[in-house]
Amino acid sequence: MNGQTTAAIVKQKLTWSRYKFPESLWSFGTILAVLVFLAYSLHFLKIDVLMMLGALGKLGGVVAARFYPPELTYVTDPGYLASILDTLQMSFLGGILGVFLAIPLAWFSAWNVSPHRAIFFPIGRLGVISCRAIHETIWTILFVSVLGFGMLAGVSALTMFCIGFAGKLFSDEIEAVDMGPVEAMRAAGANSFQVFIYAVVPQVRVAFTGIAIYTWDVAFRAATVVGFFGGGGMGWYLKRNVQQLENLRVGAIILSIIAMVLVAEFISGWLRSAVNRAK
Amino acid sequence: MAIVQCHSNGLPLQIDTQIGLRRKRQMRMALIWGGFLLFAAWCLNGTIVEDTDWSRIGGRNGVFASLGRYLTIDWTLLPELIVPTIETFMMASVGTVLGCFFSLPVAWLGAVNVTPNKTILYPLARFLMVISRSVHEIVWALIFVSAVGLGALPGVLAIAMRSVGFISKITAEAIENIDAKPVEAIRATGGNEFQVMYYGILPQIYPVVLATVIFEWDINIRRSAVMGLVGAGGLGLLFFRQMNSFNYGGVSMVILSILLLIVLGEIISHYLRKAVI
Repeated sequence: MNGQTTAAIVKQKLTWSRYKFPESLWSFGTILAVLVFLAYSLHFLKIDVLMMLGALGKLGGVVAARFYPPELTYVTDPGYLASILDTLQMSFLGGILGVFLAIPLAWFSAWNVSPHRAIFFPIGRLGVISCRAIHETIWTILFVSVLGFGMLAGVSALTMFCIGFAGKLFSDEIEAVDMGPVEAMRAAGANSFQVFIYAVVPQVRVAFTGIAIYTWDVAFRAATVVGFFGGGGMGWYLKRNVQQLENLRVGAIILSIIAMVLVAEFISGWLRSAVNRAK
Repeated sequence: MAIVQCHSNGLPLQIDTQIGLRRKRQMRMALIWGGFLLFAAWCLNGTIVEDTDWSRIGGRNGVFASLGRYLTIDWTLLPELIVPTIETFMMASVGTVLGCFFSLPVAWLGAVNVTPNKTILYPLARFLMVISRSVHEIVWALIFVSAVGLGALPGVLAIAMRSVGFISKITAEAIENIDAKPVEAIRATGGNEFQVMYYGILPQIYPVVLATVIFEWDINIRRSAVMGLVGAGGLGLLFFRQMNSFNYGGVSMVILSILLLIVLGEIISHYLRKAVI
């Protein structure tokens, strides 16, 4: 009798599972559906799975064979250093313009304080979504075809990119404000612009500064390749050398891009912590 | 934000000191704004004034004329768009899953509380995360096109490599913030390393990780739409062809379909994330 109970307990323990019947069916069904979709995608895209999994090892071999040793003298050339400055200028200007254009759009597209939910809200949302949806390289190509090669096209593309990036973060931030001051202002008869300036802006000022600095950081990352499609800056050197198959120079340029992005990330991190301390 | 500074005994400072402090703060703000504006002016001068050939743009009429070319939409391109759109969607999905696959070891090594080796492997994982995020997807695609050739494969790999940084960073942070008690309990009852991971860590991090992966998938659709520009297939390739054959209506059509795909992805990811959390 006693032995039977122990056996029953042991048996019960063995059949324990984290998922009970209905949930297990759902979760396994979902996993199965995703796997089937992935398998079909691999078939549809004609991807060789073994080649895909072995690609990282191959990448090491390719980098060692073609890009090593990087031609570091090329990236210390004055012309190239000037292009780094160009990249910095483009990202900074694009960041500023984008942030300033993103603030009104974010105000429009924040549901809680939007000036008009039937007219301005869709305009703001659509503006931010379409800026975000189109990749910065496509913006660059479009602007190059309208404005010609050069940094103006790059700045315009980065501006669009920053509107999309900062606009989303800004409107999320506005939607999370404390509604008390907003209600108080509305009750006192303020119009929506006054509500935004006196009730919303003081609450989000510090967060906006942080987001603006982060936007510059991301814009710098994007600015490194904007030149690849004719927007000026480091990307233009990258394109030229890729097309001339100067692989050692390409390696050096990619290294310099990584270094500059790290520097930008460090500066933005430092600035953001300084803003948070001064709050 | 006016802050009244107080002595340690609780009394307010002398009014002169108050005014002095405020003046100092104002001076500092003025300096910061002045420096910012000067820097902006320098950038403006460098990019817009010196580097732009206004005569080539052709004034306001020239710009409007070039913009007008995009306004006609070439609907006849529609049947050719279907396969590249599906390809783009699939490239993003496969790339995201492959990126998750690659980020597992990186997140494991890069989380300070579970990393097997803090002196070598932990900094290495952190370094990999930074590299993955700081190299742009176009550059990744270029490297992979030169490594494995043209086609969808380099696009998938580039998306995967670019996703590793973000996914593994968030995952590592989630692992660092877990409640240690279940892990200790499983260890105390004799669970091995795998059981500790599977029953102690995974249930705690998986909502965060899944939400991050869905978010990254949403971004990856956007990225996979441009992979074709450097030879990796999908909608980008079609965009590139239309642009090179000066079929501006076709370009608008491709952009419309990219927009549609991305809005669709955003809606799906919104509901999926709601279901997960």
